[in-house]
Amino acid sequence: MSQNLLQVSNLTKKFGPPAGGFIAVNDISFVVGEGEIVGFLGPNGAGKTTTIQMLLGLMMPTEGEINFFGKSLNSHRQEILQKINYSSAYAELPWRLTVWENLNFYAWLYQVSNKKEKILSLCDQFEVLPLLNKQLRDLSAGQKTRVLLTKTFLNDPKMILLDEPTASLDPDIADKIRRYILNERKIRNLSILITSHNMSEVEELCDRVIFLNHGKIIAVDTPQGLAKRNKNSRLELMIVDGLKRLIEMIYVKKYQFTEKNRFVNITLPEAQIAQFLTDIGKRGVEFSEIEIVRPNLEDFFLSVSKDKDKDKNL
Amino acid sequence: MNINWQRVWGIILRHLYNFRHAYDRITDAFYWPSLDILIWGLTISALQTAGNTKLLQITMILTGVILWYVIWRGQYEITVSILEELWSENLVNLFVAPISLVEWVIGLLGLGFIKLFITVAFTALVAWFLYAVNIFTLGFILIPFIISLLITGWAFGLFVGGLFLRYGTNIQTLAWAGGYLLMPFSGTYYPLSSLPQWVQKVAMFIPSSYIFEGMRQVLFTHTLDATFLYKSFLLNAIYFSLALWFFVASFKQARKVGLAHLK
Repeated sequence: MSQNLLQVSNLTKKFGPPAGGFIAVNDISFVVGEGEIVGFLGPNGAGKTTTIQMLLGLMMPTEGEINFFGKSLNSHRQEILQKINYSSAYAELPWRLTVWENLNFYAWLYQVSNKKEKILSLCDQFEVLPLLNKQLRDLSAGQKTRVLLTKTFLNDPKMILLDEPTASLDPDIADKIRRYILNERKIRNLSILITSHNMSEVEELCDRVIFLNHGKIIAVDTPQGLAKRNKNSRLELMIVDGLKRLIEMIYVKKYQFTEKNRFVNITLPEAQIAQFLTDIGKRGVEFSEIEIVRPNLEDFFLSVSKDKDKDKNL
Repeated sequence: MNINWQRVWGIILRHLYNFRHAYDRITDAFYWPSLDILIWGLTISALQTAGNTKLLQITMILTGVILWYVIWRGQYEITVSILEELWSENLVNLFVAPISLVEWVIGLLGLGFIKLFITVAFTALVAWFLYAVNIFTLGFILIPFIISLLITGWAFGLFVGGLFLRYGTNIQTLAWAGGYLLMPFSGTYYPLSSLPQWVQKVAMFIPSSYIFEGMRQVLFTHTLDATFLYKSFLLNAIYFSLALWFFVASFKQARKVGLAHLK
């Protein structure tokens, strides 16, 4: 990692009147380095999309600075947009135009040299070639997403912003796209800021995760680092004998649990699992199946989302 | 101001591609103008049979119809092209590309210019074919007439386009019907002197009214009072500047809320 390709300082977006308006993004600062893949996560309404819109110049910030390649987005918008690109599973392209026509006019907007060769080569990568003469309105959601991704790489961007890039894609195509993204990063140091609700995708792709909630950054860490912030693991047991005794012990230890058809799912600190298993063995609890699920990024996401819901109910 | 003509061509290309696939756009370009020529031609023919009108008057009205389409085409290309971006939710991808607002506007104006030739040539051909009316008898004076009317159309289109950037597709009818607001005050089919006093007063502030008056003067007297052109271009310069300012201000306003929120 060398220089910072993106530097965001004290970015704020308020909607409504100055007094009593709604603050969607509240004084956030972060960087994305060259060749770095950064996940931008948070529950719905956390401020991710608003931030990305500001990063793309689609929305004016209320306060703060956005710099790409060391230059202000405000004063070097066109120069910066020539070097970055964006794709979202929810974005649209003109639906009356064919795939070829869409990609061709965007190639003109990005001043792509060798337009035809570039479009055909990318279409081949994203398996879009058979769709070239189809109108966008005739494509499935997954096919549209692939066309949008093709558009995203037309200008050989140095940085891309991806909003749920693999939502609506079949698992095999989604996997191919992740391979392509990782390969692009490897061969030309592409930087990526990505939002996704697919936590395993974030864990696979991202070097670092920025976690946003209520418009504020609440954590910046590696996916593994964030996952470890949740100390609890899940212990899943299929009880053959001693279910009542087990539940009594769980109450005493004050662990959370669920039970259905003799399958007991217990949430407890990972460090206490071994001792707990010894204790229930001493009490004559017999089990036929056991599984220990270590905390992952999804657990961290869920714990933050639950906190958000609690706040809402207060 | 650095204008990149590749990007401007990209914008024009996007809408030319759209034109190829959109039967409603093709209808707007050919069907309605032809129908107008046909209906007005038949009406005047009926009056002529009753002995109330002359060939010159047929030429006057049909030339008015054709020239009216210059204004209409100028404003329509801007407004409907903006609507196309809103309908297809393409504004986000468009402005994530390195295109400037000026390049977008030039692209839309250029598109209007290209399609103007298609529509005017087609309607002129229909008028000549059906009623042997040749608008080119006006001669080279047709060029400043068309330029002035096109600027009027562009100014109105930018104003309505600015409204779309503020209020979205809720007011989309203005794209088709808005331009007709100018029609009664332009004296498209009739001399301004035949209109009520208050309409004449309003017409003084409408640039196209001077062009249609000038057209009639050329047809009837083969001369043109140059003040018609001066006044028309002066008013156009004022209105076009104001409309452009309003459009840019509306775009800035839309960016405050976020272009992605425009529907």
